[in-house]
Amino acid sequence: MSHEKSPLLELQQEFIRLLMNGDQKIQSRIIGTQKVPVETRLGIYADAYRFRLIDALADSYPSVHSLLGDDDFIALANAYIDHCPSQHFSIRWFGHQLPTFLQQTAPYSGSPALWEMALFEWTLRDVFDAQDFTPLTMDDLRQLPAERWSDLQLQFNPTIQRIELSWNVPALWQEIDKQLDPSEPISCEYPLPWVCWRKIDQKNWFRSMDVDEAWALDQMRQQASFADICEGLCEWIDAQHAPQRAAGHISRWCEDELITAILPLK
Amino acid sequence: MSTSPQLPALGFGLGLRKEHYTTILETSPDVDWFEVLTENYLVSGGKPRYFLDQIRERYPVVMHGVSMSIGGSDALNMDYLQQVKDLAQQIEPRWISDHLCWTGLNGLNAHDLLPLPYTEEAIKHVVKRVEKAQDFLGRRMLLENVSSYVTYTDSEISEWEFISTIAEQADCLILLDVNNIYVSSVNHEFDPLDYLHGVPADRVQQYHIAGHSDFTDYAIDTHDAEIIQPVWDLYAQAVQRFDNVSTMIERDDNIPELSVLLDELDKARDIAAKYQP
Ligand SMILES: [Fe+2]
Repeated sequence: MSHEKSPLLELQQEFIRLLMNGDQKIQSRIIGTQKVPVETRLGIYADAYRFRLIDALADSYPSVHSLLGDDDFIALANAYIDHCPSQHFSIRWFGHQLPTFLQQTAPYSGSPALWEMALFEWTLRDVFDAQDFTPLTMDDLRQLPAERWSDLQLQFNPTIQRIELSWNVPALWQEIDKQLDPSEPISCEYPLPWVCWRKIDQKNWFRSMDVDEAWALDQMRQQASFADICEGLCEWIDAQHAPQRAAGHISRWCEDELITAILPLK
Repeated sequence: MSTSPQLPALGFGLGLRKEHYTTILETSPDVDWFEVLTENYLVSGGKPRYFLDQIRERYPVVMHGVSMSIGGSDALNMDYLQQVKDLAQQIEPRWISDHLCWTGLNGLNAHDLLPLPYTEEAIKHVVKRVEKAQDFLGRRMLLENVSSYVTYTDSEISEWEFISTIAEQADCLILLDVNNIYVSSVNHEFDPLDYLHGVPADRVQQYHIAGHSDFTDYAIDTHDAEIIQPVWDLYAQAVQRFDNVSTMIERDDNIPELSVLLDELDKARDIAAKYQP
């Protein structure tokens, strides 16, 4: 004998289909009143579902919102809600697929500056609530004996995010943040490396880097040593000047609170 | 000697909102405790935790979540519960609450507090899950009544019978949202006093009072406005019926200056002083 389906489960399936697909089958399970008919009652839930998610997206992506304007942003949000329903218990994560969605979905895929803005905003969001840390001070760095430099390995600020951007979206983001009308997006000659991170004052920071600095940072975050970096930098400058250049990068990272510790010798 | 399941009362509290972080730290307002929204602090670090930790040093806190989906048909999300437990270990809340509702299905989250049918099946289902969650968290939890806009044909009993039976059978506590009772009473045309008299006095641990949107024929618990007189009146009735209950003003949207909420909290204090036995 087969088990009868749980009425509770059946009701929840129909309710979810109402919210996510507009399926009205659940109407037969609802009692309306003269004052408030069934359609109005279910409409409150269906509308609230969308409004809440649109609100969450607007909160995560204020600059994408600003670039698109209200109507187009709501159209985008509705398309995203249908395509990528929330799978996380916290609404904070709902928008995490928006950059990819914009990159892969017409007509948005035709506006690369738009998805780069989404990527940039989501990156800042990750920086905002990433793990806390204590930065290495310049004094700590100065106390390192000269003979320790070639083996030097570093531990980095856990809030660091590295992205490449082909459009000037951080500049547009700043305009929007200052409540100015954003200017037309401008594309760069080649993708620019950016680093985004949080300082101990709890503020988000971001800046672009020279290619060699970005390379050195990426390498050292993967445990490369100072000597490794000096060797690699010869791609851009002559061997004689490489150590000075590498040390310059490290001291700037230290000032920027990008470094949290000198790793002990193995 | 008392055998009441109630925890010691905390007095008059507010919901902790990011808009007020610095004002709270700068002015140390006369608030007995803060309720924090659990999900906002289930993050690795940064501003939310930075401020919470500082405020926690000065005030007792309780944790209020929206994601347990205690009435849901998916298995309890143990990853979520583990994160709740970890946060509780760090900030030591006086209690942990969530809602008597369901929030999603098949791994999809509606991010809404959806009503359950008031049936024998739902009671059994929820009781089992509350017991499991309480075992895991190592403490009694509070379940809050949600506002609802639909009545199911499946429902066999009243909402107050439903929440009371669950609280008794699962041995949990009740967070009575006075505004939600009022909103649901408008939407379902019942007498809110029947609700108040229908729940067991020794299981009510906390009140929420809040504002909402009135659409003449129905009401929605938007928590974005001042508390209206009928909700204050109902609160006055509640404080006469229940003892030892902690009161909290719940404002989720359209957040005003802290002083506005402090005034509302004083009003609640006055009402309680006037009517409490
Ligand atoms: Fe509430």
